Amino acid sequence: MPIQPILHYPHPVLKKLCNPVETIDSAILTLVADLIDTMHAGPGSVGVAAPQIGVTLRVCVVDVSASRNGKENNHGLLLMINPLIVSRNGAAIMREGCMSVPDYTGDVERATEITVRFREPEGNEREIIATGFEAVAIQHEMDHLDGVLFLDRIVSLKTGLFRRKNYS
Amino acid sequence: MSNQPDILHYAVSVVGKDRTGIVAGISEVLFRLGCNLADSSCTMLAGEFAMILIVSHPRPFGKGHLFDELKPVCDGLGMSLAVRTLHPDEAARQETRGEICMVSVYGADQPGIVYRVARELAGLGVNITDLNTRLIGTPAEPVYVMMLEAALPDGQTPETLTALLDNLKKELNVEIGVRAITPVAL
Repeated sequence: MPIQPILHYPHPVLKKLCNPVETIDSAILTLVADLIDTMHAGPGSVGVAAPQIGVTLRVCVVDVSASRNGKENNHGLLLMINPLIVSRNGAAIMREGCMSVPDYTGDVERATEITVRFREPEGNEREIIATGFEAVAIQHEMDHLDGVLFLDRIVSLKTGLFRRKNYS
Repeated sequence: MSNQPDILHYAVSVVGKDRTGIVAGISEVLFRLGCNLADSSCTMLAGEFAMILIVSHPRPFGKGHLFDELKPVCDGLGMSLAVRTLHPDEAARQETRGEICMVSVYGADQPGIVYRVARELAGLGVNITDLNTRLIGTPAEPVYVMMLEAALPDGQTPETLTALLDNLKKELNVEIGVRAITPVAL
């Protein structure tokens, strides 16, 4: 299956609300395969969402098992169709970058533990509890399905230590 | 490669007592001149608003023209102004290599905290990319806080840097923490 080019903002598809997958047909299976290949082609990439390759459907793939932050704690390759976060816990800030927004990073607050329900390409429903970096990656990719970029969630510009007092 | 690149870059710094309209006033001049605001960092330091801008403009253009257009606006706002032409090599984006760390240093205020830490880091080949300091606490017990971001040289980790800073930490009787903040690619 071919590696697809990653779209960069300001491509309008990246800000679109994606549609749920109605039926898992061969086109969806091809999409999933393309997402996997595209993810593996990106240096250090741990996930790709369908809109990043121009498809406005609620499909994303995540695999943090080869990453430094996620290798100890992951569910391997996750193929997520119509994913839904059913609960979230905790909060932590991580500096994120995105293949669709090159040359920029920012501190984003995410839940540290999520329960996420989705369908797999075989058609079955699956529910997992993801924590740590895997939870961050899933939230980041799922944001793409809502047209939300990490730029929409940056909580501070560089050091968000504290507001300075006015000494004057 | 031409020694006369088509795009000229300038470093512009503007500092003065904070008030509304500073960014609007400065950026209006740049907009009117057709300048591109390629990179910038602006913040409040005590009651001063400090702007550091990297401005670009296609040839033909001149530093004198940029200065002359900004000066009356800065004078009107009560701001100091400095403009420097960047060498083409300077204007290029510099990618930081190695692990990016947040180094936090805090403790009872004393002379030389910034100097001693920065000197130690420089000696270790650690490149400071961002730095903020603040004096907090009370007049009776002032506390100095320094937060900096730095790129570690190859082979160095937050753990090894922490160990290397341990002597300085004891000597200055301050807390020094090193945490990895290398961005995650998603």
